[in-house]
Amino acid sequence: MSKNEFYIGWQEEIPPSNKNFIRNILIGIFLLIPVLVFAVVSFQKPMNHHHFEFGTSTELTGIYNSEPFPILQVTSGVPEGYSKDVLLVGFGKFGAQEIISNIENENGSLNGKEVTLNGTLIYGDGVTLIELTDQNESFIDAKEIDKEYLGLKTKSMDVTLKGEILDPKCYFGVMKPGEGKIHKSCAIRCISGGIPPVMRVLKEDGISYHYYLVKGENGQTINKEVLPYVAETISVSGMSSVQNGWNVLEVDLESIDRK
Amino acid sequence: MSVNYTSVLWNKQKKGYDKILWLGILLMIVCFVAFQLMFHPEITAETLLIRATAITAFVLLHIILSIGPLSRLNTKFLPLLYNRRHLGVSMFIIALIHGAFSIIQFHALGDLNPIVSVFTSNQHYSEISAFPFQILGIFALVILFFMAATSHDFWLNNLSPRIWKILHMGVYVAYGLLVLHVALGALQYESHPMYWVLLIGGFAAISSLHIIAGIKENKRLSGEKSFSKEDKFYQVCSVSDIPDNCAKVVVLEGENIAIFKYDGKLSAVHNVCKHQMGPLGEGKIVDGCITCPWHGYQYKPEDGQAPAPFTEKLKTFELKVLDGNVWVNPIPKEEGTFVEPVKLEEV
Repeated sequence: MSKNEFYIGWQEEIPPSNKNFIRNILIGIFLLIPVLVFAVVSFQKPMNHHHFEFGTSTELTGIYNSEPFPILQVTSGVPEGYSKDVLLVGFGKFGAQEIISNIENENGSLNGKEVTLNGTLIYGDGVTLIELTDQNESFIDAKEIDKEYLGLKTKSMDVTLKGEILDPKCYFGVMKPGEGKIHKSCAIRCISGGIPPVMRVLKEDGISYHYYLVKGENGQTINKEVLPYVAETISVSGMSSVQNGWNVLEVDLESIDRK
Repeated sequence: MSVNYTSVLWNKQKKGYDKILWLGILLMIVCFVAFQLMFHPEITAETLLIRATAITAFVLLHIILSIGPLSRLNTKFLPLLYNRRHLGVSMFIIALIHGAFSIIQFHALGDLNPIVSVFTSNQHYSEISAFPFQILGIFALVILFFMAATSHDFWLNNLSPRIWKILHMGVYVAYGLLVLHVALGALQYESHPMYWVLLIGGFAAISSLHIIAGIKENKRLSGEKSFSKEDKFYQVCSVSDIPDNCAKVVVLEGENIAIFKYDGKLSAVHNVCKHQMGPLGEGKIVDGCITCPWHGYQYKPEDGQAPAPFTEKLKTFELKVLDGNVWVNPIPKEEGTFVEPVKLEEV
């Protein structure tokens, strides 16, 4: 600024030397913005390719089973390569139990019946879920089937696993990321609302995962009990089995160790 | 300056400032969205919005915090300071979008009130890495809200400049909370070292600028401790040390004094502007008035009064000139008291 120049904000014009200086500073800032944003974005963790078909309704028909959590075993209707043992979840941060209970109050037990449900598909990493988006539109039909449907679980075995408890609705498609610290509160709300807790365990190959539905030692739901451990790396012991196409981990709560 | 609160006159500078500000904000958001879709096309719209607003608000906050010390170090930055509150309010709006949308995304549609959920979902309050970082953001947002809500001169006058200034110094508390919010939140998930470099680098840059500006100010003050005193007057400089229409600033007996030379005269007033406590001694005499470098508030040098119809008043001080040296009595006169200027041709 020359000796005679003095900047006053309420004047119409900025002194020329101020103007030139500020122009150069602004050019620098405007050039720096894309560089900074590029750095921030390019070092982000990669995001998964899980899907939430928001706004698209799908009808699925299959055998309904309430154990270990509400599951529909379908024969078709899910994308190629994804599980046909479809886990049911509710709208928002709620499980499907309340909707199923309302449907059963009007239509009788759905267990073991061929049921047609309407909802929004969520799928990723080979796993499929369906959100029963609209309480009034979710239930289409239920039919008795000829043969008795058992839905038995395989023999259990003792395991100790290390991984992260997450809510499958967000993780398999609704949110990206649906894991880790930044998603922790949401996962807590979802699991607290009845969405089945799922334990994600890294496979030996170091890049892919096993998924276990988490229940209590006696097969009871323990959604509230696992909330302090959600979205953290933990070690846990329990009994592992497979039921209705899903791995199930019956957890000894006292064995949970926050790493 | 204002005597009542009519709508603000948007002069050419103000309009230009706002245009460039929102162009910059738009550029940042567009760049963020474009790079995200280029590198991570799987990203959801919600995450895009949350992250774009987060980085934009955080970068804006760094710019806001840099402007003060940069203006003290180089007066050419003053045009950025003049409308800084526009930057602040814009930053708050963007931070509010980030905060509100994050609460909706992560806490709404659940079995608990979303606000209650923010405070109770993650209860690891006694652990650093597991700490519920969201509450740090909420507290910062509350501070920024009060700052944005009181940014108008109505509040400056009604709260008093001192209280207003203290309230607005809360930006440093908000900044500290937000640094922790990022460190204990996003950086616990996005663990690439580059993010720590950016966060710590930003913090170091802001801290360094403030320290350097503080050292400069301290040097100025400490160099003026050994003035000779006679009667109640201190000898502070020679007349020729003060450029025309500018001031010499001294601190004597705790009084911050600006001695202005103008029209062949000398007058001394309190060096703190009544508006936002700006350094009047770094201003100039314009149209016969002392003019604050921060926002252009004006005062008559001989009595410290703002020209009518404005009502702000400064304390004034007695001066004398002996053998070409300026002497000042640091005992202040009441605000707005006329003190006969020292006429230099007579001495």
